[in-house]
Amino acid sequence: MDFQAFLQSLQPLLIPAMILFPLAGGILLLLLPRHELHKICYGTFYTTFITLLLALTAAGVFDWERSGEVQLKFDLNWINAFGLRLEGGVDSLSMWFVLLTTFLMPLVMLEAFTHLRQRTGDRAKEFFFWLLFAESAMIAAFCATDLIFFYVCYEFTLIPLFFLIGVFGSTDRKKAAMVYFCYSFTGSMLMLAGILYVAWFNTTLPVEELVATGALAADTRLALPQLGEWTFNFNHLKEAAQYMDGTQQAFVLLALMCGFAVKVPMFPVHTWLPLAHTEAPTAGSVDLAAVMLKLGSYGMLRFALPTAPIAVVDYAPFIAVLCVIGILYTGLICWVQKDLKKLIAYSSVSHMGFVVLGLFAINNIAIGGSVFYMLSHGLSTGALFLCVGMMYTRLHTRQMSDLSGLGKQFPVWAFFVIFFALCSVGLPGLNGFPGEFLTLMGTFQAPLLGWPFALAAGLGMIVAAMYILYFVGKVIFGPLKIPTDTSHGPIETHDLNFKEICTLAPIAVVCLWLGLYPNPVLVTVEEAIDPIIIPAERVMQARLEAAPIETADGSNADWRGQTLAANAEGGEP
Amino acid sequence: MSELEIAKFIPWVPAVGAALCGLCCTRERFRAWAGPICVASILIAFAMSVGIYSHVVGDGHGGEAGHHIAGPHVVTLYTWMTAGAMTVDMGYFLDSLTMIMLFVVTGIGTLIATYAMGYMKHDPGYPRFFAFVALFIFAMLTLVMADNLILLYLGWEGVGLCSYLLIGYYSKYPVAVVAAKKAFIVNRVGDLGFALGIFLTYYQFGSIDLNVIIPAATQMIEDGYTQTAVLSWIPFLLLIGAVGKSAQIPLYTWLPDAMAGPTPVSALVHAATMVTAGVYMIARLTPVFQLSPYALPTVALVGGVTCLFAATIALNSNDLKGVFAYSTVSQIGYMFLGVGVGSVGGVFHLSTHAFFKALLFLTAGSVMHALAGNLDIRTMGGLRRKMPVTCWLMFCGCLALAGFPFTSGFYSKDLLLGDAMAVGQTWATVAGVLGIITAFVTAFYTFRLWFTVFMGKEKYDIGDAHHTPDNELEKAMIGVAKEEAEHTGHHPHEPHEMPWWPMNVPLLILAVGSLFYGMLVKKITPWIADMLHASTEFAAIHVEHHGADYGGGFDTHQVVEIISGALAVLGVLLAMVLYWLKPGLAGKLTAPIRPVVTLLANKYYVDELYDLLFVKPLRVIAYLSYAIDQFIIHGLVLAFGWVPRLVGMTVRPAQSGKLQGYGIGMACGLALVAFIVFWATA
Repeated sequence: MDFQAFLQSLQPLLIPAMILFPLAGGILLLLLPRHELHKICYGTFYTTFITLLLALTAAGVFDWERSGEVQLKFDLNWINAFGLRLEGGVDSLSMWFVLLTTFLMPLVMLEAFTHLRQRTGDRAKEFFFWLLFAESAMIAAFCATDLIFFYVCYEFTLIPLFFLIGVFGSTDRKKAAMVYFCYSFTGSMLMLAGILYVAWFNTTLPVEELVATGALAADTRLALPQLGEWTFNFNHLKEAAQYMDGTQQAFVLLALMCGFAVKVPMFPVHTWLPLAHTEAPTAGSVDLAAVMLKLGSYGMLRFALPTAPIAVVDYAPFIAVLCVIGILYTGLICWVQKDLKKLIAYSSVSHMGFVVLGLFAINNIAIGGSVFYMLSHGLSTGALFLCVGMMYTRLHTRQMSDLSGLGKQFPVWAFFVIFFALCSVGLPGLNGFPGEFLTLMGTFQAPLLGWPFALAAGLGMIVAAMYILYFVGKVIFGPLKIPTDTSHGPIETHDLNFKEICTLAPIAVVCLWLGLYPNPVLVTVEEAIDPIIIPAERVMQARLEAAPIETADGSNADWRGQTLAANAEGGEP
Repeated sequence: MSELEIAKFIPWVPAVGAALCGLCCTRERFRAWAGPICVASILIAFAMSVGIYSHVVGDGHGGEAGHHIAGPHVVTLYTWMTAGAMTVDMGYFLDSLTMIMLFVVTGIGTLIATYAMGYMKHDPGYPRFFAFVALFIFAMLTLVMADNLILLYLGWEGVGLCSYLLIGYYSKYPVAVVAAKKAFIVNRVGDLGFALGIFLTYYQFGSIDLNVIIPAATQMIEDGYTQTAVLSWIPFLLLIGAVGKSAQIPLYTWLPDAMAGPTPVSALVHAATMVTAGVYMIARLTPVFQLSPYALPTVALVGGVTCLFAATIALNSNDLKGVFAYSTVSQIGYMFLGVGVGSVGGVFHLSTHAFFKALLFLTAGSVMHALAGNLDIRTMGGLRRKMPVTCWLMFCGCLALAGFPFTSGFYSKDLLLGDAMAVGQTWATVAGVLGIITAFVTAFYTFRLWFTVFMGKEKYDIGDAHHTPDNELEKAMIGVAKEEAEHTGHHPHEPHEMPWWPMNVPLLILAVGSLFYGMLVKKITPWIADMLHASTEFAAIHVEHHGADYGGGFDTHQVVEIISGALAVLGVLLAMVLYWLKPGLAGKLTAPIRPVVTLLANKYYVDELYDLLFVKPLRVIAYLSYAIDQFIIHGLVLAFGWVPRLVGMTVRPAQSGKLQGYGIGMACGLALVAFIVFWATA
């Protein structure tokens, strides 16, 4: 057997290996004696690092020319009776999120190594085990194409975070862990109900009849053999859901959104996030902000939008209103925060408002921007949490009133904080910009939303500048002030050490790269989002044909109607 | 590679310079390299601009204006973003207007950076300062060279960021931090308008490339477009952006506060280059602005009103840099007026203003430096003996700012005022008259400052030695000067000239430019004039359409020239009488109008008004939102969490474990079933 063919045969194993590797590493870690911190640290770091290498290999094997297709598929029987399968694969969308996850994990670990004993006592093993467990679950969730498999992985991300917050968090950790778990779990139960409903609906589908009447194309039937039977394969369910009427889809959308909106989190179900973030250890915060929140928006994009296109078109303005309220309301809340972590947590809610707004604008520009926003928010907010964590280990406080003028004492740290703050505020040339700008631009062009939403969300840009500069001005500039209270441990006044710089510098480089050259991401994501938008676009087009909008005189026409017409004609305004 | 291709690297040279300066921050032994690196990178950019000049503008000299000008060139570095059908390139648009801006930015930039090498020498943040300056030049060059609106927006926000970083440079002092924050946020308000303008442009034109939208708009005007409500919004949205960046009413309040930055920054960012970005944008997009019949008149009127408004504040400002800050606002008002009436004078004034305002700020910096941070002109007097070079250099700048006949400021200002009067429409005439009145006010306040500082009896305070500074900015400046003195071990007790000669060379060049550049353009060499004319070719059409009376009767331009020239001389003479020959007379004259003076001294209370209208209510809303979030929204969630517990509590007594209870329960249940069964069968 020649080598090429051998490598080919290994391809389907790549993704499962990537999923299982951190978990396996975590389990091996548990076998180590608990006092050997050094070995534990190295073990964790290399586990995550090799996972990153696996992800990069996957990215190398991935055929970017066909980035819209699911590649590197794997498929295993799970429970035959219900058609449950462990199946998955990556398209460009999944690929970028997997890369984000695997890229951040080694850095998170690296940060956790400093002051490890002080932070975790002698339970470092467990700490890292849960982080590795979370990594496995997150990667798997991004790769899953079977809805129940996705759901299981999605839920599995809850457990590690529950322990990370509940065991390794700060003072109010028990309450935060409880609220986080119950909140998310309630949401996901409703989501599960939605998934089950769609699957049940599929079994009731009169397939042969549909084929006979021509409502279902014969080749589609051939491609999706399980239609009308128990299956949770997303392609099948998506096709089946197209035969639902508006009300049924509305319920499906509502159920799915319950799960995803809590995870994102969207206004008004966001209140768990500030609590969880404030109490979580740094590594938990970073995981939560950078990747887990994205599971919510990823889920909306991947599963909710194509499954319930009629309902999406019907309810997009309502959801967008919630997003806009979220952007402005939580943005203003950031502005009066006293606690650094809480400020960044609330800013996450505000930013994720942009993401969801972009998703429900349903056009290529907005969704492309939204996906980019997810990735860049993961990087910059994750990095900001890392920065705050680094300061917390030194000064043992997150109260802004205790801190001032730190730029003088910690110039390198200050550089990174300002850099990531600027990323987060959407400065052009850095990674925050393409996402924010394209999201707003797409919202503006969207026939369902239009300029009022773009204007209102755009005010969020100003609010973001207000709170970010308030934070920077208060903490980094001004006369130097460092707390003197040593009851939580000694105050350290040295700048970032080499390990910490190694943690932040790669993120900064990637942020700059994504800001100056976002095109590779945008281009590859484009193909993956096309099939997601098509069902909703079809619905809009059908509506337009049913009730054409008068634009004859052209002078005083409803301009949102015009875009709709333009969209229908050429696919572009 | 054609020679034009090097144009696409012009902005990146200062970017590399900025990165290198940034690296210099990390090691003590590289500190001193930052200044030269920064200057060299800007100088290389300047040389490259000169290199591509002939390829962009064409090789002809003379001939009728605009005829030998080649069309705009576009060179592309790479594709920045793609989304849907939209492609955004890192592409650069080269035509005469770009060239003028390139020369202004890189030329004046080199001079100011050279001066700053001396000025900032002993500052502990020396490499950081030059990293920011080089970064600023990168952003500014991107702004003026961008071939599409989104790249222009990159430059637009980029210069805003550098402005923020540089205003807040003395970050130890809260006044600087607050001023920096204010500048950024007020600019963001404008940026939002600009961004919405871009969205609407894309919506209307299906593109954001300049070489698509400008021809499209021109075509629409020529076709006698049917004006739609949507189209006419574009210029107004863009105008919000321009007004924010160029510090015009109502978004001008950040610029005077921005003086908290180091003086070379005030000269470079807040006088010569960044604040003129709005003027550049309007000039660049004139055809788009013509899509609404009200847009350019609005621009002109905003300019006219701002220039008089800011000039009146400058009348009563006692802060050396403050006077120049308000005069910058006022002069940019002139430029708005110029581009608003479609005059070549707008961009011309932009280029002359860069010379004399940079000169004024730098010489003001020398005075400040000599007096250890003192800014209050009331404590200064007769400094001409101590610092003669600075005195006469500033005199040149003052002449040009005042529009004294035959200086640069005179030619450019009178060109645009003449054009304004020649348009022959009420709005243009009103704006023009406002401009002519301002000419007098400008001459007066400029020389009020100069006579106060340099003439009369010699007096000076070093820092806060004898007087208590009455504003926060001055306190901070004095603090900075003190720190600097500590670093050098040099405690000045007497005003002195700048010790390092290379600092005076840029000043000399700027002074020559302030005096003769205008004349050079107007009377001697046609090539700059051609370039200027070509730069606002579209706009020029606008003036001619409205029928200026160039032929018959009297020449409006000459009349305006004579009137405003005379007013300028009058202003200078009046200032001379009041502040040199008969000091004290001014106080007597203004005594009856005390309330007006107070109003001016408090800058019309605009800052207070904005605080009351926007900042305070927003803060209240923010606190309110937080309270709602904590108690109502989270409260509801917690209440929801109580539901299972309540259910449990209500049904708990049923599971008491007592046999009797279960018995009763069983009996009741049986009874219920029996009832249902019988009732159903009945």
